[in-house]
Order: sequence, then C-alpha cells, then structure tokens
Amino acid sequence: MVVVGGGAAGCYAALNLSRAGIDTIIVCKGLVGKSGASLFAGNLVISGRALGNTEEQARDTAEFLIKYHNQFLIDQDWAKRCGAWIANVYYPELEEAGLYFRRDDDGNVVVSPGKIRSIAANVQGNSGVPFMDLRRKQVIKAGLQTLEETVVTALLRNADGSVAGVFGLQVLTGEYVVVLARATILATGYSDRLHARSTGTREMSADGIAMAWHAGASMVNLEMQWWHTNDVAYPPTWQRMQIYPNPMLGSEKSARMVNSDGEEFFDQQKDDPLAFGPYTVQLKALARQVHAGKASYSGGYYAGFDHCSAEEVEAYTTYAKVYRQLDMDFPKSLIETAVTAHYRQGGIDVDTQTMASSVPGLYVAGGLGGHCNGLIALVTYDGKVVADSVAADLAALPQPALPEEQIASERKRLESLRENNDAPGTPCAPGEVKEAIRALMWDKAGVEKDARGLNEALEEFSRMRRELLPRMRAKTPVRAANYDWLDAIDCVNMIDAAELVVLSSLQREESRGPFMRRDFPDTDNENWLTANLLHKAGNGYRFEKRAYNLSMFQPGFARANNLEVPW
Amino acid sequence: MNGAGQGTDGAIDARRLGQEENFDGLRARNERIAIGAPITVRILRGDGKHDTEWQEFSTPYRKAMRVLDALNAIAIADAPDLAFRWFCGSKMCGTCAVRMNGREVLACWEAVEPDMRIEPLRNLPVIRDLVVDRTPYEQKVAAFEPWLTRARPYSGFPEPLSHRDIAHASKALDCISCASCYSACPVVRLGPLTDFAGPAPLVQLGQTALDPRQDQREVARALARSGIFNCVSCYKCEEVCPAHIPIVSEVIEPLKAKAAQLLPRMARHSLAFRAVVSRRGRIDPGELMLRVQGLRAFAVLPRLLRLLTRGKIKPLRTLLLLKTAAAGPANRILKHAGRSR
Repeated sequence: MVVVGGGAAGCYAALNLSRAGIDTIIVCKGLVGKSGASLFAGNLVISGRALGNTEEQARDTAEFLIKYHNQFLIDQDWAKRCGAWIANVYYPELEEAGLYFRRDDDGNVVVSPGKIRSIAANVQGNSGVPFMDLRRKQVIKAGLQTLEETVVTALLRNADGSVAGVFGLQVLTGEYVVVLARATILATGYSDRLHARSTGTREMSADGIAMAWHAGASMVNLEMQWWHTNDVAYPPTWQRMQIYPNPMLGSEKSARMVNSDGEEFFDQQKDDPLAFGPYTVQLKALARQVHAGKASYSGGYYAGFDHCSAEEVEAYTTYAKVYRQLDMDFPKSLIETAVTAHYRQGGIDVDTQTMASSVPGLYVAGGLGGHCNGLIALVTYDGKVVADSVAADLAALPQPALPEEQIASERKRLESLRENNDAPGTPCAPGEVKEAIRALMWDKAGVEKDARGLNEALEEFSRMRRELLPRMRAKTPVRAANYDWLDAIDCVNMIDAAELVVLSSLQREESRGPFMRRDFPDTDNENWLTANLLHKAGNGYRFEKRAYNLSMFQPGFARANNLEVPW
Repeated sequence: MNGAGQGTDGAIDARRLGQEENFDGLRARNERIAIGAPITVRILRGDGKHDTEWQEFSTPYRKAMRVLDALNAIAIADAPDLAFRWFCGSKMCGTCAVRMNGREVLACWEAVEPDMRIEPLRNLPVIRDLVVDRTPYEQKVAAFEPWLTRARPYSGFPEPLSHRDIAHASKALDCISCASCYSACPVVRLGPLTDFAGPAPLVQLGQTALDPRQDQREVARALARSGIFNCVSCYKCEEVCPAHIPIVSEVIEPLKAKAAQLLPRMARHSLAFRAVVSRRGRIDPGELMLRVQGLRAFAVLPRLLRLLTRGKIKPLRTLLLLKTAAAGPANRILKHAGRSR
C-alpha cells in the first residue's frame, strides 16, 4: 500500500496497515509528523462520557461537531461511530503510547471548563508538536518505510482505470520515484494555500484534490471553506498564527476582539456560550463589522487578552508568545488580526464505511475527504477505517502493472517545467503565478462572494492557462532542492483545484455558516441541506445533490438570513 | 515589557544581558527600521559540493518583518532559485533554522536586522544554499529508540501521573527539533573526536528518559550510547533554543544525574570530582586522576611528569588527604544537592 501524506490520518492509516502485516510506505511532501501536521495547536475535545463528561456534555459535543463545525453537511451515523471510537479507543491508545495529557501538580488532568470540555497534549497552543512527534516515532518504531520531502505528482492507472500507485519527485535530490501499490490512500490534508492568506503550510497546494480529480474521483462541498477570523495580520509569515478564541484550560477566560473604533465585538464567553465552536460565530460577528466599515477581512481589527492576567494566560498556554516576540506589552496590548482561509469541509467524496473514493484502488483518509471537517480526532478515526477496509479488500485488489507510457509522459511533463527552452515568449516565474492565483482567490472567492466575481475568477483562470502556464518554468534547471521547480509543479494543481472550488461555489446558491454569498444571503434548508457533488464527465463536469441523514440533529427551520443563524 | 537581562517572570536571563546596551533588545529588533527602508541580506550560496559564495540582495522592510519574510521577498523578486526550507512559518515545524549574523535563529520567528549575513546551520551537511541534510540528526534520535516502553502495564485512561513528576520531560516536549542547538554546540563541532550525541538528540531522549513511566532499563541503554558526559555545560544550546527549553539545566543535567545513578561507571569522572570536593573542600587533580583512572594513571609517564613539574598534581597533599576549611560546607551543600535530585 502507499499512503500519500504524513499527518495524523496518514500516519495512523500506515501504522494500522503495518500492524495488520501489510507492506506500506508513506510518501510525504514535507516531513512525517512535522511540516503541516505539527500545526494542530490547540485542544483535544473530550467526546462521549470520557473523563467524567456528563450525558449532556457528550450530547453537546456531538451537536457542536454537526452544527457548528459542519453546518449539518455531515453523515450523522458516521459521526456517531466516530464519536464512540474517540471516547473508547482514541485517548487511551494515545496515552498508552506515551502522549502526555496535561496534569496539574496533584495529578488531575487539566480540563477546560464549559459545555464542551477539552484537554491538551503537554501545552495548549503547542499540542500538535508532541502529538505528531509521537506519531513520527511510532512510524520509526514500526519500521515503516518513508519517502520524505517527496511530492507525488500523479496517480498511476491500471488498464481498467483503477489506481496502480504514484509517481513522485524527491525534492532534495531531484530524482523521480515510482511506487506501485494495490491501494493508494490519499491523506494530504484538509487545508491548502489557494488564498493570499492561508493556514495551509508551504507544501500544501491542493495536490490531493487535483490528482484525484484527474483520476476521475468525485468531489463534494468544495465550496465549504472555513476561515480563521483572528490570525496575526503582520508579519506575513505569521498569517496562520491564531489568537485563540478558545477558553484557556482551567479558566473561564478567552480572547476578545475589538474593531477599528476600539469597540469590542466578540467575547467568546458572552457571544458563543457553547465555547468551542466559535469560528463561524466569530466570522459572522466580523462580517457585521466589515459591513459597518469598522474592519476589513485583511485587517484593521484587533484581538488579545487584555482582560486577563499574564500568569493566567501563561499557566497552561503558549498564547503570549506572539506578543512577547514583538515586545508588545502583554497582556495589555491587542494585536492587529486578519482573516485566513483555514480548512475545507468538503473534499473528495468517500464512502464513510470504507473511505473508498469513486475510483477503484483509490482511498482517502482525513481532511481531504469531503465527509467531515478534518479535526485531528476525526481524521485519526479515518486512518483506522481506511486501514480496516483496505485490509478487508486486499484479496480483491488488482496486482498493479508498471504503466510505462504514463511514467514517460509524466517525466516529460515535469522536465518541461524544469527546463523548457522551447517555451514561447518570455519566461514566467512560478512564484509569481502562485501569488497571482492566491490574490485572485482572495479577491473573488474570499469570505463573501457572488456570481459576478466567481465568473470573473473563471475567466481569469482561463487566461492564466492560456498566457502564463505555457511560459512558466524554473529559473535554473538544477535538480537538487529546486523549490522554484516545485512551485511550477504546484501551480498546475492549484489552478485545477481553485477552478473546481469556484465552480462549486457558484453552484451552491445559498449562504451557510462560513460560506457567504452576497447574492444568496439566506441559509436555505429547503433546497441546500444537501451535499453538492461534482462529478467528472468526459472533459467536463456535472453537479448532483445528495441528501444527508439527519438522525440526531436537524436545523429546525426552512430559511433564514445566514448572519442571523447561530451556527 | 522585559528589560534586557530580564526573563518573562522578571528573573535575570543571562542570555539577554547586555542586549539593551548593544541596541539589540526585542523592541529594537522590531522597531528600529523604518517601513520601506532597505535591508541588506548577504546569503551564503552553494551546491554543497563545490565552492560557496556570498550573494548580496536588498529588500524593503515591511511591518514586523521576519528573516523568512525577507527570504521569501528575495525569492519572489530576485532569486527564485534560492534554496531554503520552511513549512509552517509559525514556530511549530522547526525546519527553517539558519545562522543569521553568527547565531542560530528560526527564520520565521526572528526579526530582520538592517544588515544580515545568512548561512546554513553547522554540523549538518549542506544540500544546497540554506538547505541542510537533517539525516545525521534524525539517525542519532532514532538510535535512542525514543519511545515509551512501560515498566508496568498501562492502567487505563487517565493513568495516575502528576505534572510535578513529569516536569523535566514536559520541558523537553516543547522541542520542535529545529536543530539550532545542534548547530551551535561546540562539542558536536568536534565531530568524531567525541561520541557526544548533541543537545537536540538528548532533548528528544529526555522526552521519554525523564518520563516517570519509562522503563529504567531502556533509559540506561539509551544513555550508554549518548556520550552525555562530553557536554561541557557551555549553555550555547540554551542560548539559541527558540522554544526556550532550559536544555542544560532541565534536560542534560537531569539526564547526567540519571546516568550517574543507572550507569555509575559512565559517570565515574563526575562522581569522583564530586566526592573529592565533598570530602576535601577543593578539587585535587591527583586524587581525581587516581579515582578515575586507577593505576592506569601511571601508564603515561611523560604526562605524569609534566603535571608534576607544572604543579598540577601534588602527591604529598593527595597522600595525606589534606582538607581545606571549605570541606565542611562543601559536604553539606553537595549532600543537599544530592537529595534534590
């Protein structure tokens, strides 16, 4: 088996496959358990009845996942299975393997108060580091083979159309690799850098979506983009550094937000008593400020902890580090914040029982799947499900054959991006194309969008394909650590994926949670409480709606202005 | 706000002493350059095999600009082929460490300076420009088998554990494995002259070895291959650690104490040193040599003679086990220090 991606889902899938005695290799564009995966910063939500959760708290957790995190665009039966697994298996397994859930000096697990309770690995704000470090070490311990800093550029196909493995480029050496596998599991994550401001890390360029689409996989809800409302506005490299709205562990306090006139417009304890599903609520609060001219999505509003004491903030969290590193008076100073494109709820359409995509031999685990939003516990569950289903399917999966023609043509494609002396016109720098795509997405497919802007984006993508891509090439043809070449490879995927996102955004004619259409401001449960499926059809595409099962929670209204909807 | 030399809790922070006088405090670094003013960046470029060369670039200062912002701006405007590694840009992934003006910094975290010389980390092979090969570091970590092996079976979630018991390991868990300390360490720089694993691998080891749940036989096995007593406690690692881990005081020293307890032979020099000071109130190189090397001390006669003629060893004093007035207090202090471990 080949697993593409070294984050929470990919590592767990690979570990489970190797435990089942199945030969598995991880191919990772960054470093396994580091790069993008380490970014998970905050809390582990306690689900079910674990750690003294009451029946009511267990129910709140499920509601928060279904309503606040997925706006009902989630299979509620899957959510039930997942929740039970998290409560019964996830925490004990992590702790048994050595993860340190933060205790106080008396030995109590430090738990954030409120309706939704959570815990942290070592330090809140930095939980992803020990969490993913543990996975990295488990991968080493299991003797799993890994190819790190290796970008997968294409899925290889068998004659019957099933996926035969992957073609990749080792970035540090510039050498090509081919991995043939009976099953390919894509686990490239729930985030990417398609917007000018993105929480996605450097290596993320929507490769999973683009490659799966070319292989014929269907997509779902690609328009459902989530946003961080209060990430640091400057410096640019800190664009994904969040001023956490979440309450501090063991405290009733949380960050507050202030507009350009100095008026507070969000205090989580008051404005979102559920206290753990704040992102959409926060975004809606900001939208009102933007409409009133007191903030913009690119900055001009502020966040901080000026109502707390420094000791309180620093007892269990790392939130003060941003202020301290800029030598701002902490906690008295507020820092300028801006919106950042965070993760996508949608992604590749999967069967939630098996994590199989619509293409034989191609499986998906984690946030790249369109079935949920990709919180770390949920994607870990995916890792288990996909490993179980691949192990069960193993006998039926075809032995892959070496597709020499595809390999030759992929080599040729990549070589022309490295050294393209026959290209017409003046060369065009990949880095500039990347910036242009991101600026376009920010302007036309940002927080608030409409049909006119989205159509303009489509026209601009056509122009880029016509005028920029044929001239794009790396400045020097060096093979080793040529990130310029990697940028060129990324750009092709980014345009393909961004176009699918824009098409899906045009299709959903309503506003829902973080998805805001100026021309369709209402949440429309009559027509759009459905999955927005995008199928490949020849060289084109077609859309389809699919209803969700609403076995536990229902919205309870037909139509309302999205800004007035509490989720 | 922290004055120079003061840590966040108001305690004296030796690493910051003198910064204010040198106009090098955090505030100065963040604010002394005007928006739009040119930043001069000289970068050591090379393919890791042949000659290297310094290339000079200029980029306008932007608000709160970090070293990584400057590198990205240069890559967009002037040098798309500049090789530098980064992933998260926000002090989590630990992959963007470089040397800036002679000290190790995380490019995403450190403020730019008006005139910067940027080079790759030391003690790791260069692949191209600022990108180093992390493999030697990773191999040292993997050799420690740094995962939890329980002495007793897991008792179920949540297991009994208090923060007090795991405090040292908790500090080590802040490590983002950026290898800044590995680059700054003068003992690692000596290469194969010592078997010192280096600060970063030891911090990784500390995550499990200082965890009360870890099987002590595993700790001993890992420490046996750590070369930990080659650490000279120069604190260079602590000075550059972007995660502010007290590497010497909260990781290496507790690990040395563990080694002394689990592998006394490995710690014989430190234990002998301590015993001599405790008993006699001062160090006596003669007794130290005898205790550590035994009769082998006499094997290299020229060295022995040299030490004698230079007055480094005084056989009479050693034979008579002469004490100084400090013997009593030294004994009391060291006994106390022993208990706190």
